[in-house]
Amino acid sequence: MRVILDDVIVRRGSFQLTASGTFSKGVHLVTGPVGSGKSTLALALAGALRPVTGQIVEDGIGSRTLALPFPEYHVTGETLEREVASWGLVPAPVLEAAGLSGRGGEDVLRCSQGELKRLVLSCILAREWDLLILDEPCSSLDCAWKEAFARKLGERRKGITILLTHEDEVLPRVDEIWEIQAGRLASLGRVPEAIPRWSRPPRYIRAALDAGALPENITRKDVRDAVCRTRG
Amino acid sequence: MITITGLFHRVLEIPDLLIPAGRVAVIGPNGGGKTTLLRLLAGIDLPVKGEILIDGVPPRSREVGWVGEQPEREIIFHRVSDEIASPLRFRNDPCPLVDERVKAVAGELGIGGLLGRETRGLSAGEKAKVALGAALAARPDILVLDETDSNLDQESAGAVEGIIRRISCPHVLQATQRMELAARSDHILFLERGRVLHSGSPSAVFTALSGTPFSPPSMWCG
Repeated sequence: MRVILDDVIVRRGSFQLTASGTFSKGVHLVTGPVGSGKSTLALALAGALRPVTGQIVEDGIGSRTLALPFPEYHVTGETLEREVASWGLVPAPVLEAAGLSGRGGEDVLRCSQGELKRLVLSCILAREWDLLILDEPCSSLDCAWKEAFARKLGERRKGITILLTHEDEVLPRVDEIWEIQAGRLASLGRVPEAIPRWSRPPRYIRAALDAGALPENITRKDVRDAVCRTRG
Repeated sequence: MITITGLFHRVLEIPDLLIPAGRVAVIGPNGGGKTTLLRLLAGIDLPVKGEILIDGVPPRSREVGWVGEQPEREIIFHRVSDEIASPLRFRNDPCPLVDERVKAVAGELGIGGLLGRETRGLSAGEKAKVALGAALAARPDILVLDETDSNLDQESAGAVEGIIRRISCPHVLQATQRMELAARSDHILFLERGRVLHSGSPSAVFTALSGTPFSPPSMWCG
């Protein structure tokens, strides 16, 4: 199971992104500041934006989905219950996973941003996908929910998960890190070797690296363990 | 000083609370009442029961600046200069004074170069700064930021934090999910299920929150 970006150039308005590389099975983190091209890449990977040159070749990909940064843009159900059902899922367990038990009859657009994110992410994570693309899935979530979803994402073993984010406080366990710089996507390699190559890591990782700690992965727990080990 | 007495409003139950002047971080889980409290402090909503006084005066009698979670959805004018000028024009300040103040605020925020630009074409970080410019134009007594940093990367969030540290606004209340940012504030309120569970200095509040997802990296390893 692979997605191969073969000298791809994608354009959106005057912005251009160049990308080459192979996304294989596992969890991939694509980072870069706001406006660097993460959403453009997400749309191209999802097939919603056609490259102007090069090609995106898929190998063994059947089911796929894209989570947009603002969930209100892709809800279709009128109520929380109907939204869950629209994903082909039984509402009660998904609502429970989203911390929204007993609210199935409520208008979906009366949810707060955080609640809507929880609802849509819980629907997405309740299903298996060969290719799961998540564009800023954790913005609007509080620290506890960010950790809960990061844990679930890091546990995904089936399929290819591509997380595109500038999140700088809570990240999942990942297999490979990619960075977009000056309109170009490049793989930094597999974790943990990729971590010191990261040019703009979140502050908690930068602080750990500066203190001489090399975490095994990029979750807060991995980094905390590495820092505390270094301090003895 | 902000005093809250006998406050009952939607999810909020705050019998008594004193919030000192300075930069105050409002933290806690989603749905805990952060936005509800900030809207009351900004005078956008009035409490069903209870009283809020900012230096002895209700919020609606104070000059308030507000920036929400998605600043681009609050921007209403096409040009950056018009957006920043809006609160001054709405209260009919004389044009020369408005122009002067817009330039001064843009200078303070380091966005003088954006004044002639269209708001639509700005980056998320630039939009947040423009919204902040509009919020600060009328020299507010209280500036309220409701997770304004949630869609910003760490560079833009850092730039916004730098601005907030430089300005002279007596009360700045900022809801955030960035615990390191909260750790650098003067005072923290931790809200959960409508109650203020912790109110105090960053070190006191984060000691109480040790071992929870709300503990910032700088407090790790004891």
